[in-house]
Amino acid sequence: MLIPCPHCGTRPVEEFTFLGDASVKRPASNDPSSMEQWYDYVYLRNNPKGRFDEFVHHSGGCRAWLVISRDTETHEVFGCVTVRDYGKTKGGKA
Amino acid sequence: MTSYRLSSGGLIDRTASLNFKFDGKSFTGHPGDTLASALIANGVHLMGRSFKYHRPRGVITAGAAEPNALVELREGGRKEANTRATMIELYEGLTAQSQNRWPSLDFDIGAINSLASSMFVAGFYYKTFMWPKSFWEKIYEPIIRKAAGLGTASKEADPDKYEKAYAHCDLLVIGSGPTGLMAALTAGRSGARVILADESARLGGSLLNEREEIDGDSGIAWADGVIAELGSMPNVTLMPRTTVFGWYDGNIFGAAERVNDHVIAPSPYEPRQRYWRIIAKKAVLAAGAEERPVAFGGNDIPGVMLASAMRTYANRYAAAAGKSVVVFTNNDSGYRTARDMKAHGVHVEAIVDSRSESKADAGGVPVLRGRRIADVGGKKLAAGIELDDHTHIGCDAVAMSGGWSPIVNLACHRGGRPAWNDQILGFVPPDTGKDFIVAGAAAGRMLLSECLADGARAGTLKGKAPATPKCRDEAFAIAPLWWVKESHGKAFIDYQNDSTAKDLPLAAREGYRDIELAKRYTTTGMATDQGKLGNVNAIAILAEATGKSMEQVGTTTFRPYYTPVSFGAFAGPFHGHHFQPVRKTPLHDWADELGAVFVETGLWMRSSWFPLEGEDWLAAASREVVATRERVGICDVSTLGKIDVQGKDAGAFLDKLYCNTFSTLAVGRARYGLMLREDGIVYDDGTTSRLADDHYVMTTTTANAAKVMAQMEFAHQALFPELDVTYVTVTEQWAQMAVAGPKARATLQKIVDGLEMNDQSVPYMAALEVTVLNGVPARLFRLSFSGEHAYELAVPADYGNMVARAVMQAGDEFGIVPYGVEALSIMRIEKGHVAGGELNGTTTAADLGLGKMMSSKKDYIGRMMAQRPGLTDPNRQCVVGIRPVDPQDRIRSGSHILKDGDRPSMAADQGYVCSVAWSPMLNMWIGLALIANGRARHGEVVQVWDGLRGHKVMGEICDPVHFDKENKRLHA
Amino acid sequence: MPKAPVRSKPVAVAEVILPRVSPLADVAVQGRFGADRGAPGVTFSVRHPLSIATVIARAGKGKATAQALAEYEPRWAGPDQYFVVAQGRGEGALYRELKSALDGIASVSDQSHGRVIIRIEGPKVRNVLAKGTPVDLHADEFPAGKSALTQMAHVGVHMTRVGEDAFELSVFRGFSESFWEWITEQAEEFGYQVR
Ligand SMILES: [Zn+2]
Repeated sequence: MLIPCPHCGTRPVEEFTFLGDASVKRPASNDPSSMEQWYDYVYLRNNPKGRFDEFVHHSGGCRAWLVISRDTETHEVFGCVTVRDYGKTKGGKA
Repeated sequence: MTSYRLSSGGLIDRTASLNFKFDGKSFTGHPGDTLASALIANGVHLMGRSFKYHRPRGVITAGAAEPNALVELREGGRKEANTRATMIELYEGLTAQSQNRWPSLDFDIGAINSLASSMFVAGFYYKTFMWPKSFWEKIYEPIIRKAAGLGTASKEADPDKYEKAYAHCDLLVIGSGPTGLMAALTAGRSGARVILADESARLGGSLLNEREEIDGDSGIAWADGVIAELGSMPNVTLMPRTTVFGWYDGNIFGAAERVNDHVIAPSPYEPRQRYWRIIAKKAVLAAGAEERPVAFGGNDIPGVMLASAMRTYANRYAAAAGKSVVVFTNNDSGYRTARDMKAHGVHVEAIVDSRSESKADAGGVPVLRGRRIADVGGKKLAAGIELDDHTHIGCDAVAMSGGWSPIVNLACHRGGRPAWNDQILGFVPPDTGKDFIVAGAAAGRMLLSECLADGARAGTLKGKAPATPKCRDEAFAIAPLWWVKESHGKAFIDYQNDSTAKDLPLAAREGYRDIELAKRYTTTGMATDQGKLGNVNAIAILAEATGKSMEQVGTTTFRPYYTPVSFGAFAGPFHGHHFQPVRKTPLHDWADELGAVFVETGLWMRSSWFPLEGEDWLAAASREVVATRERVGICDVSTLGKIDVQGKDAGAFLDKLYCNTFSTLAVGRARYGLMLREDGIVYDDGTTSRLADDHYVMTTTTANAAKVMAQMEFAHQALFPELDVTYVTVTEQWAQMAVAGPKARATLQKIVDGLEMNDQSVPYMAALEVTVLNGVPARLFRLSFSGEHAYELAVPADYGNMVARAVMQAGDEFGIVPYGVEALSIMRIEKGHVAGGELNGTTTAADLGLGKMMSSKKDYIGRMMAQRPGLTDPNRQCVVGIRPVDPQDRIRSGSHILKDGDRPSMAADQGYVCSVAWSPMLNMWIGLALIANGRARHGEVVQVWDGLRGHKVMGEICDPVHFDKENKRLHA
Repeated sequence: MPKAPVRSKPVAVAEVILPRVSPLADVAVQGRFGADRGAPGVTFSVRHPLSIATVIARAGKGKATAQALAEYEPRWAGPDQYFVVAQGRGEGALYRELKSALDGIASVSDQSHGRVIIRIEGPKVRNVLAKGTPVDLHADEFPAGKSALTQMAHVGVHMTRVGEDAFELSVFRGFSESFWEWITEQAEEFGYQVR
């Protein structure tokens, strides 16, 4: 699989490290009442068949954290943005 | 032996002779020959024995699909088993042995299996070796292993080199027949970056095997012209001897280049094979089509081969498969063989055409229409045939053609399934998308003109496809014929697995009706050829037996690799010396000079102990500990991860990363930090120093350096992007040495420039920028892992060895010793400092006795989850010291803790010993253990049970600080 | 530097800063190696001693950093991140100069000793590098002056094309010996020179 790193250009998947579901968002609250959100954040990950946004680290290249959008069934890659840009545009569920 | 070499023609160089040996016997051939063609030319028809019945076998094909003529090529460490004689280029000095026979190919005792063949029906192994279960490992498996198997692997190391490489192109063309050449030429002329790969040594594909006419000249002449033009284009790379074996995500293709398989031994500087990953913007599969056999009795007897193979041997290699030939076909292409053989002066008895009519040109050879071969006579060589109407015809070679299967393998590697085409009676490729185009015969186009036009289209990356040269087309018509049921003898479907036409209906009757199940039950389509010849026939017979259509039965799954790829090519250079890179510290030479024994820690080589003559590791490490605690020692700690953290929010960022606070740290001071994972478990630890308001340098453990860096990158980029902070690893910039012991200060004072070292100028946890040895920039930290009055001195790495030597010199008068990580580990256990054994991914800060470090005034990674009830349970296992009640006893790491009197069980388990050391200071074995509610149990006597060694001693739970409990030495 | 045990010998502490010793000092032996017919396919040299610094722009200062660095021929090393490489500077001089020039704009870290730069040049340079990196090195895709972060033989490499047939490869110091052994072996088939 080839991943289009926004910094380095297209590189093979061997240069990257996957961290799964990019829709998770770290809760802002440290209040005990937010514990349920914390459990979800730490332990709940989607693993769908089909289109999926995932965290990926270009560990063998520019070392940027990216979000790749791809089809888990066909491995078609729809796009890849930095995690910062992803946060600005997509947010993700809290 | 009679010569079967034709007197003229062929693409062999008759001016040169090559000597080779097959089964110890000497032969000669010519450059341009394969081992198979040279054997045929020498009249050798028997080339192997079959897998199950040990039947005599000759070649069936002239190419990659060969199931029978498998040999052990070369000898010693270079021996390669199951190599297809049809793909081996002949070279001077070649040696090959036949396989799967004993004592000789000609007389093989295993052939007795053939007499017992009613036993070897489909599912034989499953049916026979099922019960009793206990027989499997000891009795059945060894029997099966001995009976099965093809060639044997060499037990010697392969002396040759292998390589890996990447290539990039606008267009990859796979196959160099008419379609591939036309595609490469079209794309090459447009200026695109083209790679043309072909498994053969000579490019040209089927044009080399057939008598074609293109542009008013021979097909070969046309091919040579195109190849010459391609060769002159700087944007085109020709890759002969290269098998493209797989199509992967992202249009990446795997290919194996046989760089030096055609010479007796590669030059020491060149690889034998090279494994390519070709990243192609677009690719064309122009692999052509594979001819199929027909299932009839004795269709495996040497002398029986595919019609296209027979004419390839004659046309390309000038080797006659026999003296008297019968052609058996269900399609027009078989007629070419009759004509070509006749043109080469070989007698052709007849064409047996299963169809009642055909317009094909028989070239004057008699045609028996509507007839089929039922059986072939002979054992080690064909001796006549019997037709379904019991007519006998004499011959010594049979050419068969059951139709053509487009070579769709690569097109199906990413999950697509081929579709059945009733016109050509073959499976045609699935939709492969716009970046991988299947063209020519591989796409089911059976006419030469179609192939050329298809190639031109596929090679046109933009604009209109160019016109293609004129050529003469051979008509193609076909009618189904899979299995001649009138046969008496065995009618083989899969030659390599010895599965016959009767096995498939049997499998269907026994319930294995799905093609994937039937494959595994009958073994049809397995092993090195993966059913290239037999699968379509098997599908047809299964379709008939189950009343399904070809489409409904479908194919088994096509997976890489198209043909076998050697392990050497996969490993490339990454074995032995190059298995993984070695990482050396800047003090490596210094340690090496002092006789250090190095130990691999991750990729690092760390100095582990410095033995004097006669010392083992324990004696050396114990001496190093005593010397350090009594005088002074120096240790290489360069492997600790060092990360420069800068920016106005550097402190705030560290506050997020660590459970304790760094924004309040004073400039010029260091602080120990504990990093949690988001789930509340301890991740890493280390000291961080503040060099300026906006500049910290943090350290990580050696093992976690890369992981912590990735965690920081995630924390900053994904979680806290608002922070103005930068971070970069500077691990390798600094040679860092710990100098510890009562004489550490006195030693360092001698090399530090212009600084009176005392408790005011260099207080405990100081972090200073100084110079040493007249101007070498250095960082001086007053830190201690050993519990001694100690420092860490960091200097730019290129100076490391010299500075360490200078420290040794300066400490000489005090009796300085170098110490390694073993002594370091002993001293930290004596002091109860936690390390890898305790920071093991299960422990919390509180478990480690560091709960007070967790700030309640700020957010940090792991804060919330660390408060979960499960992580704050007072009965959790926490770090304690453990020591034997009898000082003579030894406790061992990994031992479990049981209450006195309890028997070992999961329920009775109290914890385990994570670190142990022989303490030279206390003269006994000591350890650190994780024990349930351990801090409240100091003084309790427990069993220390080592189930692995069946060993048990009584131990006492104690404070983790075994030595110098008052920490007096730190400030001495 | 000679590799001699020093336990009993006095260290001569000069009145000048110590000489820098490359980790490849004893490894990169000069001469002609590998296939010995014709001109060497590539030539290797170790660029040492060098001054190398990492420059990373502070938040929102990417443009200002790039502008301030223009005269230093910075080598791209990640988003808003660069290597500056200079020859013939005193110990720490480049670092101090950049630190003051970029004060408040970018972070500077001295990497002069932490990285080793190997220069490889010659007609077969792309063939040798293609055995390690998946980066397309065709001049249209990777022109002179361009840099990339990649991996070769499991080692992280910062690669800069410094000419039509010349590249510089920067690796962590600790891997330099291992990397040297690997990459020179990849050049054996073409014959290579070490300068
Ligand atoms: Zn990248």
